[in-house]
Amino acid sequence: MPTEPDADLVLTLRVNGDRKRLLIPANRTLLNLLRQDLGLTGSKHGCDVGDCGACTVLMNGAPRLSCVTLAADAEGAELLTVEGVSVGGALHPLQAAFHEQVAAQCGYCTPGFIMALKALFDERPDPSDEELNEVLGANICRCTGYTKILAAARQARERMNGRSA
Amino acid sequence: MLPLPTFSVLSPRSVADAVGMLTDHPEARLIAGGTDLLPSMKYGLFSPPALIRLGGVAALQDITTTEEGGLRIGSGATLRAVGRDPRVQRLYPALAAATRTVATSTIQAMGTLGGNLMLDTRCAWYNQSSFWRGALGGCLKCHSGPEGAICHVAPKGKGCYAAHSADTAPGLLLYGAEVELVSSRGARQVAVSALYGEDGRDWIRRAPDELLTAVILPPPPPGAVVHRKLRARASIDYPLLLTAAAFDPEGGPRVVVSAVGPRPILLSGLAEAFRDGGVEAVAEAGYKQVSPLSTHV
Repeated sequence: MPTEPDADLVLTLRVNGDRKRLLIPANRTLLNLLRQDLGLTGSKHGCDVGDCGACTVLMNGAPRLSCVTLAADAEGAELLTVEGVSVGGALHPLQAAFHEQVAAQCGYCTPGFIMALKALFDERPDPSDEELNEVLGANICRCTGYTKILAAARQARERMNGRSA
Repeated sequence: MLPLPTFSVLSPRSVADAVGMLTDHPEARLIAGGTDLLPSMKYGLFSPPALIRLGGVAALQDITTTEEGGLRIGSGATLRAVGRDPRVQRLYPALAAATRTVATSTIQAMGTLGGNLMLDTRCAWYNQSSFWRGALGGCLKCHSGPEGAICHVAPKGKGCYAAHSADTAPGLLLYGAEVELVSSRGARQVAVSALYGEDGRDWIRRAPDELLTAVILPPPPPGAVVHRKLRARASIDYPLLLTAAAFDPEGGPRVVVSAVGPRPILLSGLAEAFRDGGVEAVAEAGYKQVSPLSTHV
């Protein structure tokens, strides 16, 4: 039996732990779903074509560029955005490290860096500098030159592993 | 903001479903990771009426050992999953290495092996927004009307030189990999070396109703196979040059180069060159067989 394509679709997913059910147009990107439909503007609209990483979120634990992801691909998924990273009002060690190291100037890229690094730390609790650099290479910052971002990532790594930094 | 055109979505759960949908909707496009397709659609390079989402077809993500001692890698396996698979790392290190040079770690977690092999050919004059392209009236590849019937790289030529930029293709070609293409007419296997055409517009030898379901690797050849990628930055960039090289003490060197034209090129005459002049002579022989143009993005 031929299946007719859906121009609109009902999407059920979890965002930062909350269950959501929405009717959306089929051509909605995940980034626009977050920003426009759910009002979660922490994920940033940068290059719009998957080059810059500012829109990075975690989908089922894996990093994902939400500007080049169909919202339809998030059906049944567990999403984490930068709004869901802090725990009980306390900054995540990555957020605290970015703050302490002043690893942002304009700050537009920061949520993407936090999410890409969180994906790494969730999987590899004590990553090497090479692994940190590989993740930093997935995101573009045009202000800082990356030095302080790397310093923040290293500080977070040391603190999360109970070492002084 | 670059808006996506309007389209509808189909979400198959099995290969049979996906193939049936492709038969019913031949004008639809397949989408897996989306990292190549969605930017191109935002740039207005194509606007299919429907997308068939392959992310829900779990069977396409399997990586299994074959009876012959090789591997069958589902086209929907992410580049990250392929690169991390211990069997891929042990048997096909050049493939594992190639998955890690694609774009960025985030894109490797999204993009699939099938998607990388089906990566559209790229050109500095093609992979631009419709506004940008409109200033020049398009080109041979982006079909924007009679005024678009010119190549801005080689204005007197009749061909399209958009470059094949799939990092995984050269190594897979040297490993003797085949792809499985499934349609409602049945399944067939095609060598990666025979998958690509000679022109940047007509670059893929896949029928519109065929779904690339798997990459099938025979047991690895004797000797080492390596992958190298030249690019402007150590991250994100598409290749300026791709090479995969194999060296068999018996048969001599075999080298595939890519990103220098619409398809990967298996260089010829290298065994003789190596015998007569070593690695330098191999490089010289290879250089004579490629003629890259300024197509790079």
